[in-house]
Amino acid sequence: MSLDKTGLIFFPAFDWAISPTHPEREERLLYTRDQIFEEGVMDMPQIQEYAPRLATLHDVARAHFCVPRVQSQVTEAHLIAAGSTLQLGDSIISGEIKNGFAVVRPPGHHAMRVVHGNRGFCSINNEAILVEYLRRRHGIKRVAIIDSDAHHGDGTQDIFYHDPDVLFISFHQDGRTIFPGTGFTNELGGPGAYGRTLNIPLPPGSTDDMFMYVVDNLVLPVVKDFKPDIIINSAGQDNHYTDPLGSMRFTARAYADFTRKLKPHLAVLEGGYAIETALPYINLAIILALADIDYSCVMEPDYWPGRFKDSQDMRNTVHRMVEQLLETWEKKDKTDLQKIFGTGEYYQRKKSIYYDTDYIEEEQIEKVKVCPDCPGYILIESRGERGYREPVNIFAISIPIQACLACQSKAYEIYEESKKNQKCDYVYMQDRSTDTCMSFDKKNGQEWTTEG
Amino acid sequence: MYIGIDVGGTRTDAVLLENGLVRAFAEVPSSSDILSSLLEALDKIMKGVPAELIERSVFSTTLITNYIAEKKYDPVGLVLIPGPGLCSTQFSYNSDTFTLSGAIDYRGREIMPLRMEEIENAIIELNARGYKKVAVVGKFSVRNNKHEMEVAEQIKKLFPNWHVEMGHQVAGSLNYPRRVVTTMLTCATRDKYYLFLKSVKEAMTSRGIGGSLFILKADGGTMPLKKATNVPIETIFSGPAASTLGVQALIPPGETAVVVDIGGTTTDLALILGGQPLISTRGVPVYDQLTQVRAMAVKSVPVGGDSVVERVGKEIVVYSERLGVPYSLGGPMPTPTDALRVLGLNMVGDKEKAVEAMDILGQPIGLCASEVANRIVNLVIDVIVHEIEEMFLQWEHEPAYRVWEVLQKRRERPSTVVGVGGGAAGFIVQIAARINCHPVIPPYAPLANAIGAALALPTLQVSLRADTEQGVYTVEEEGFQGKIEKDPFTEEDALVLANDWLKKRAELYGLDNALEKTEVTRRDVFTMVRNWITTGRIYDICVQTPRGIMGQIGARGEF
Repeated sequence: MSLDKTGLIFFPAFDWAISPTHPEREERLLYTRDQIFEEGVMDMPQIQEYAPRLATLHDVARAHFCVPRVQSQVTEAHLIAAGSTLQLGDSIISGEIKNGFAVVRPPGHHAMRVVHGNRGFCSINNEAILVEYLRRRHGIKRVAIIDSDAHHGDGTQDIFYHDPDVLFISFHQDGRTIFPGTGFTNELGGPGAYGRTLNIPLPPGSTDDMFMYVVDNLVLPVVKDFKPDIIINSAGQDNHYTDPLGSMRFTARAYADFTRKLKPHLAVLEGGYAIETALPYINLAIILALADIDYSCVMEPDYWPGRFKDSQDMRNTVHRMVEQLLETWEKKDKTDLQKIFGTGEYYQRKKSIYYDTDYIEEEQIEKVKVCPDCPGYILIESRGERGYREPVNIFAISIPIQACLACQSKAYEIYEESKKNQKCDYVYMQDRSTDTCMSFDKKNGQEWTTEG
Repeated sequence: MYIGIDVGGTRTDAVLLENGLVRAFAEVPSSSDILSSLLEALDKIMKGVPAELIERSVFSTTLITNYIAEKKYDPVGLVLIPGPGLCSTQFSYNSDTFTLSGAIDYRGREIMPLRMEEIENAIIELNARGYKKVAVVGKFSVRNNKHEMEVAEQIKKLFPNWHVEMGHQVAGSLNYPRRVVTTMLTCATRDKYYLFLKSVKEAMTSRGIGGSLFILKADGGTMPLKKATNVPIETIFSGPAASTLGVQALIPPGETAVVVDIGGTTTDLALILGGQPLISTRGVPVYDQLTQVRAMAVKSVPVGGDSVVERVGKEIVVYSERLGVPYSLGGPMPTPTDALRVLGLNMVGDKEKAVEAMDILGQPIGLCASEVANRIVNLVIDVIVHEIEEMFLQWEHEPAYRVWEVLQKRRERPSTVVGVGGGAAGFIVQIAARINCHPVIPPYAPLANAIGAALALPTLQVSLRADTEQGVYTVEEEGFQGKIEKDPFTEEDALVLANDWLKKRAELYGLDNALEKTEVTRRDVFTMVRNWITTGRIYDICVQTPRGIMGQIGARGEF
């Protein structure tokens, strides 16, 4: 094993599906398996294949508030998909490999901090679990996550919205035309992390040219400026011109070019449901690009160069957007934040979240403490309603890993108080500063604690 | 009574087993005339035994492996149809290669047709360069063999006497580069292999020995001699498989053990996990070329009893080369065997000479002979112990593609280290001590290979892939491709079809009685949904007869 290898975990979960006919079914990575096995990719000297492993429940609790508990929201397949990213993360940090690709399912980038159920085919957020693990286990400070899925990576955005050490950039099909309906240019991060979230909603039908324009003119310069310790790519593949859920027109070649330019340490498969016409080619192309192997012969059978062209209108829109976002990025530290976020002790957001897979409606109030010394603790009141069942109310507190002493002790005070508060069913504490997660079941008066 | 014979490069070993015991054995030098060494070995073990009592005989050989190592085979021209994907420049095969356009995809659909003039040009060029053996291999040919068949047909039409080998018939799993190598080696070694089979038949006929004749495969299973001509490559590395099976027969059933075979230049390691030898699933490497041949996982470590030992500065270094016999036997350089001699752990050669060898190394740095000897032995043990640990780690890190496979992963460590081979006696106790195991050197250890061959059982496997949307199915092991007749075709139907094929293969191989117990080792079902409608299913099913040996040596009357 040496520094010039690319690590690969291929976990197609051939015995797991949301349902036998759901897009997230056993068949999803079958043809990708066929292609990469037939090409002999796993035998190449540049490739090191790893066995998947399970993430622990605590690894999940470090990133999420699962209602009522972690084990009620995850299956073993979820823990394996998350655990696979952790395995590659470990191997990258230890220097066994230079980069890696977790070709795993189920995906995770729509899973938010609070998890009442499955939304956008996702239950837990593989990238977020990895980031918290890397910070805790390996002392990684700054992380950039670039989401290239056709759907807005709203889960990842939600989890790191107030985190100044995580840069999150998502380019995707315009939210007015596709799930989850968010990811607009005005979503830029909370007061403590302003400008560390950037969204580029692309017009439906955008082609490789547009893709590369955004990468060259926005993604690469911003990532370079941010100076991350580690770069993660949420490698969704539903921007492909054959995807049945998305309406974009990217090709496998463009994904490889993007990978070659971005040089992510770790790519993690997200969406992508053109399981025959896109996935075998895109996954192969990304693997080869990561491993620095010539990918010029990888091509979809029905593609010819010059097949797709953007309209001038679309191009102008995107160019303007990129220019504006670049300006926001450059001025992010000089912006008058009080003008945008107000002057209160807390900055507050109200969110309505719909869980399309499980038909749950969540109403959430998220408050972040405005603190001059740290990103501040986060307080969440959330109510999940599932038609025929009693709604579930929770109260959750999250202490960031960078928390100051004052915020730490204040957050624990609030936790103890809210255990007596009659309004909710469960109370959670996620203390990333000491790596302790607690949950309190009010009905039984029972408390669980996990520590890393 | 059973006969087991292992024809090696330097030695031919034979055993005669009766009621679970070794009745006779022979070790004779292998001569270039296979027939004469076979006869010599047979005559030794059959002394006083009527030929009619022999029920079956099994042969294993490393001859094909040696031919490949020494490149003693006719050149093979490659005609390849790689299609899009990984650039063909990523691979180079040690042979003239002609690349054709044309492509098949993962579902076996033709996405680019062949071009007749390209095929013809390639054949003309092959002829001009004097090739008479050709391997034709296409990417995804195991999903649809149309292109390979068309090219082969064209060659037959123009040069009916050429020997053409097609990828889909030789190597049925997905892995195009390995398929190319496997097909090429099959094509290259078939004549030599045929000669070996002929010698075996002649030897047995001339001594009037009847009963059934089998050839040992690299995965530890056997196949009837008369069916074996088609797949010479399957016998590659049947030698190590024979030794491992032999050890399996010589230790209690169900044990987890490391088999350490210390030879002159290399040490071969194999694992027996819970009584079953570990198989290398993707295929075995043959001198740096990866093949699709299922074989027992054997790791060759380049250190042995005759390895050269030198002093570099203040360090003693064991090299991987061999420059002749040990110093104590009049060789040119000190070796680990000399070190063992000094420590009294073997009785090879002259003790004075061995001490002299140690002094050559030790005197300039002020070490006495036994200190040097200790260092050398420890160095050798370090290397072997490290490789054993690596082998277990590698097994634990085997990829898993299903949830249940990840959940059943376990950590297992050996309880026994079994030594076979010439150098075993001196090292095995210390290796075992280092990894907390019992050392075992079983009786008949030098004959483990022949015993393993004698006890091997036939194995049969059928991997069926049925695609109901396209109405086709393939049988990997047969290179067969056919139409699904039934509609709807359910998972149960697929299972029945797979078992029918297993039965058909068993009949073909004359192994009907092997089918008493079969097991399903893979049963994947993929529902295909297109435009929100279920359009078909893909079944990926593997059925096989159980692996194993006829019984343990010493378990009297058990087999």
